[in-house]
Amino acid sequence: MKQKAINVLTIISLASVTLVLLPLFLENSPWPLSARNYLELHGVGDSGAINLVSAIYLGFRVFDTLGETIVLLTAVSGTIGVLTRAGAVLAEGYDTSGTPALTEQEKKVIMDDHTFTLAGEKRRSHALRTHLLEVVTGVLGPVVLLFGFYLMLYGHLSPGGGFQGGVVTASGIIFLALGNRIGAKNPLIRASVLDRIEAAAFLLLILASLSGILMGRGFFGNPLQDVTAIPAGYIILLNGIIGLKVGAGIGFLCIAMVGREIS
Amino acid sequence: MIERILLLGMFLIGFWGIVSRKNLIKKIFGLNIINNSVVILFVLEGSRAGSSAPIMEQGISNIVDPVPQALMLTAIVIGVCISALALALAFRLYKATGTYNIQEIKRKVHNGF
Amino acid sequence: MTIMLLVLMLGLSIFMLVSRDLLFGIIALSAVSLLSALLFYLQQAPDVAITEAAVGAGVSTVVFIGIIRYTERKDRDP
Repeated sequence: MKQKAINVLTIISLASVTLVLLPLFLENSPWPLSARNYLELHGVGDSGAINLVSAIYLGFRVFDTLGETIVLLTAVSGTIGVLTRAGAVLAEGYDTSGTPALTEQEKKVIMDDHTFTLAGEKRRSHALRTHLLEVVTGVLGPVVLLFGFYLMLYGHLSPGGGFQGGVVTASGIIFLALGNRIGAKNPLIRASVLDRIEAAAFLLLILASLSGILMGRGFFGNPLQDVTAIPAGYIILLNGIIGLKVGAGIGFLCIAMVGREIS
Repeated sequence: MIERILLLGMFLIGFWGIVSRKNLIKKIFGLNIINNSVVILFVLEGSRAGSSAPIMEQGISNIVDPVPQALMLTAIVIGVCISALALALAFRLYKATGTYNIQEIKRKVHNGF
Repeated sequence: MTIMLLVLMLGLSIFMLVSRDLLFGIIALSAVSLLSALLFYLQQAPDVAITEAAVGAGVSTVVFIGIIRYTERKDRDP
């Protein structure tokens, strides 16, 4: 009986969502072309970047980027807080007799925040553990990091930019962490280092945004527009800062979710 | 035209996943599907306006509209942040109640564990 | 070409939501992201394609698997 009511409610909600969205998905009016025409003629001259998408999210619509960095900061700190300390404090008084208790062997697993590999190779199914993962990802890790930095710094001339380079750098950090052998201490996969890189990049972003005011161009204005012959230097700086922020933030998120046993 | 109907279908599949599946992880899958479908819709609509990629090298003309692409970059990164936070909350619920089933969780919370 | 990719994505999404093993669902999610990255490349949007490929097939899959690893993998009741 209850299941039937739930089914009827599901069908009613699906039908009402379809009714609301159908005109939106089916409308056929032509796409307004005024933005594209303006950008085709003046985009390169206004900001100095050949890649127009970089010129948009760092020049014309830079407040969206600022909001996105704030959302990333909030999401990363919220996730880490829920996963580790704050979550454990909340769960103190709850009766957890329903959950299977952690055995002693499981509790000894990954208490070290450097590596993904298990301490002393104690694993439930260590027949599947080969060295293939460590060798391949350990060698590919720096290559992917290099590619991420290339995308960040050349984002104004070819496809790439801050967000793209940042997420590829985060993938490189995951590779480095997967390929790490027990006992090797790589500072780039430690949670404290990534934490500080993200906070420093956010501070640099705020400083770079205020530097336009000193030269009389307003908030997030380009201070190099009239001074030097390369106004794209500001775009390169902003791309690098955003790439570092996104890369360190998402890398920290991944390492916190995979590398540490949550007790 | 038919692409947009397929994208509406994908949105409805994601919505059905959120509403009718009882496992928490399946609900998060549904969130991801909805996010994906809206991003594809914007990029598809923006690319109708031209015929070449928005990198203004020498002699490129009639580019696609670059504004929806710039907006969707932000949307994709925020989507993965939403997934990560939702997964952290689901993990905490599992540790506190021992199951991912939303009806079991509701019953346990209501009866005071 | 885009219609074929969209139909494949629809099929994979339905499979993701009805499978009894959550790991299969995560791999299907990664495949949907990969197909949508290919779609973005075909629609003349290279920046969005790079971001979607790195996020969908890399970061999102790792985050999901990192949480499933410490909890259960079977979906006991769909």
